[in-house]
Amino acid sequence: MTVKVLYFGRLKELSGTSEEIVEVQDGALIEDLFARCSTMRPELNKFRASLVAARNREFAPWSTPLSAGDEVGFLPPVSGG
Amino acid sequence: MGAPSEDRIEITRTVIPNAAIAAQVRTDGDGAVATFDGCVRNHSHGRETLYLEYEAYEAMALAKMHEIAAHIHANYAVCQLAMVHRVGRLEIGETSVFIAVSAAHRAAAFDACRYAIDTLKKTVPIWKKEFFADGAVWADGELPPVPAETPAAKPASN
Repeated sequence: MTVKVLYFGRLKELSGTSEEIVEVQDGALIEDLFARCSTMRPELNKFRASLVAARNREFAPWSTPLSAGDEVGFLPPVSGG
Repeated sequence: MGAPSEDRIEITRTVIPNAAIAAQVRTDGDGAVATFDGCVRNHSHGRETLYLEYEAYEAMALAKMHEIAAHIHANYAVCQLAMVHRVGRLEIGETSVFIAVSAAHRAAAFDACRYAIDTLKKTVPIWKKEFFADGAVWADGELPPVPAETPAAKPASN
């Protein structure tokens, strides 16, 4: 199945893209998706501990299972205001 | 008592009309309007800031701002609320976020306004990059709280 991945802030700069479609195994969790993205972009790994994930616009634990067509954002610490 | 809520929740790329927003939330039932004007200062961690750039996960940021508004209406005796955040390049002195809360009495207006900005800074996916004469950095931020338990898989349509 495929899901849409969104990158923001320093991750967007690092990735050179703000979004991409990524293929993952059925039943994959958010952490599996991140691992998949990190194999394509190894620089992502060093940010793993300072990110939170969002699934379909809600903050979600790394252990959240994905469904086809999900929108997953990898979000650096927020600094609005 | 206040009219039914007509909150103004926005992310904008243009100058925020602070005065118009403060006027907009005010009704005849209100005795107080509290506002917060978050503006771009000319220094950060001892360095001179030239300008800022803000970026948002807009759909999620708006959803989180609406959640803040809903929490405020459920927990504070307020009438109307406006929360407007700007993105893109902002110059020194410009408003990056403006919040206005109207209420019959000042305590609720102050408290709700404080809750709105404090929560926005922790949970709304917006990022700030600071530009200095000798480089640029993404501002240190806060990691939003994430629900601990694994939710049941939901359809992608939500």
